Amino acid sequence: MERITIRFKVNGEDATVAVAPHWNLLRVLREELELTGAKEGCGAGECGACTVLVNGRAVNACLYPAVEADGAEVTTVEGLAGPGGELHPIQRAFVEKGAVQCGFCTPGMVLSAKALLDRVPLPSEEEIRTALAGNLCRCTGYAQIIEAVQAAAEELSR
Amino acid sequence: MAAKGFSYHRPTSLGEALALLADLGPGAVPVAGATDVWVNLRAGKLAPEALVSLRNVPELSGLRKTEHGLVLGACVTHAEVEDDLWVAEHFPALHQACSGVGSRQVRNVATVGGNLCNAAPSADSAVGLLLYDAECRIETGTGHRDVPLTEFFAGPNRTVLGPGEVLAEIRLPLPAGRTFAGYRKITRRKAVELPMIGIGARVTLGTDGRVAEARIALGVAGPTPLRVRKAEERLEGEPLTREAAAEAAEIAAQEAKVRDSWRGEAWYRREMIRVWIPRILDEAGAWEGREGEL
Repeated sequence: MERITIRFKVNGEDATVAVAPHWNLLRVLREELELTGAKEGCGAGECGACTVLVNGRAVNACLYPAVEADGAEVTTVEGLAGPGGELHPIQRAFVEKGAVQCGFCTPGMVLSAKALLDRVPLPSEEEIRTALAGNLCRCTGYAQIIEAVQAAAEELSR
Repeated sequence: MAAKGFSYHRPTSLGEALALLADLGPGAVPVAGATDVWVNLRAGKLAPEALVSLRNVPELSGLRKTEHGLVLGACVTHAEVEDDLWVAEHFPALHQACSGVGSRQVRNVATVGGNLCNAAPSADSAVGLLLYDAECRIETGTGHRDVPLTEFFAGPNRTVLGPGEVLAEIRLPLPAGRTFAGYRKITRRKAVELPMIGIGARVTLGTDGRVAEARIALGVAGPTPLRVRKAEERLEGEPLTREAAAEAAEIAAQEAKVRDSWRGEAWYRREMIRVWIPRILDEAGAWEGREGEL
């Protein structure tokens, strides 16, 4: 089968992968690079479980052609913690506010929140809800998730 | 994973993209943000021999603002429109339409040109663009032609684009005069939803205070996004009164070719058109501080 070699950065490190034209970015991250934080939920851009950042923007990795990652900077949830493994303030806020239950949606939620806070440091609740509208959670409850993003925004802006 | 068996091409200029589409022939499908194409590949609704990606073609990117209006590269994303304060101020209905598409993740990659080329009857951006008399620049490979957006759609999921042709730009003139405009999408849930009915209205007043231009456009009210001309005619040449708006809304509701579908019923769609056309103009400030003038 035809393979196309792509070179890109994942969480700050160089990666080179030979991909098939029909692969999506999610497959490259999970199967080739063993970064299993991003999850496959619906596979159709509805649930947001596969959310990663490409050049700082939240995208659904399930709908992102792998070939198009060539030359890009990709951030997954594995890239958020500090060098000593200390959690990113957004991750810590999710833990502290009880915004993680089963955890399946959490990596996507955290990255959507990061994309928002990088763009809008102190968002309104409405802005948080809009930014996270494409991330479905079926167990934790959105109230704690919104609270966590607000707490993280305050800490990051301090 | 998407269906297998296609090649993937990433041209980096418009000339290269057009040449590739010509060489590869009708089995080649242009793709921009891929949010529709990839879903269709996965569902087996699309089985191309080749995908020609337009997302690295600089000629198709960027918003250009001039004193005459706005030129949108076909590959401008919905999020670029959403984040642009100038567009929000001068083309609020387009801004509202683009900001409500899918999720932020989708808007970050899904392009306005892609939304038009996919030609869904529900296309939000199309309704916003119809309100502003958008014109489409189509690159043919040997030259270009300009087609008003009202003539761009040929039916559900069909456009007038011929094989090998690429939608390059969408041009919008700035409304000349005091303007009230907005877009409202009626949905069953608040986000990540297609409209049950998409409703847009724009009224631009002339120097005499009467309506110089009225545009009313609808999504999911026919085989393509469309304008309802009889409703527009009711408003033009007259003072913009609440009565006139209510009558125009009634005409639009009758003119709309709405149907029953699993997403909503025809009577409800009609009712929303009736209710929301005056409300959109009201929310845009059409009667703010003007009650005395009328």
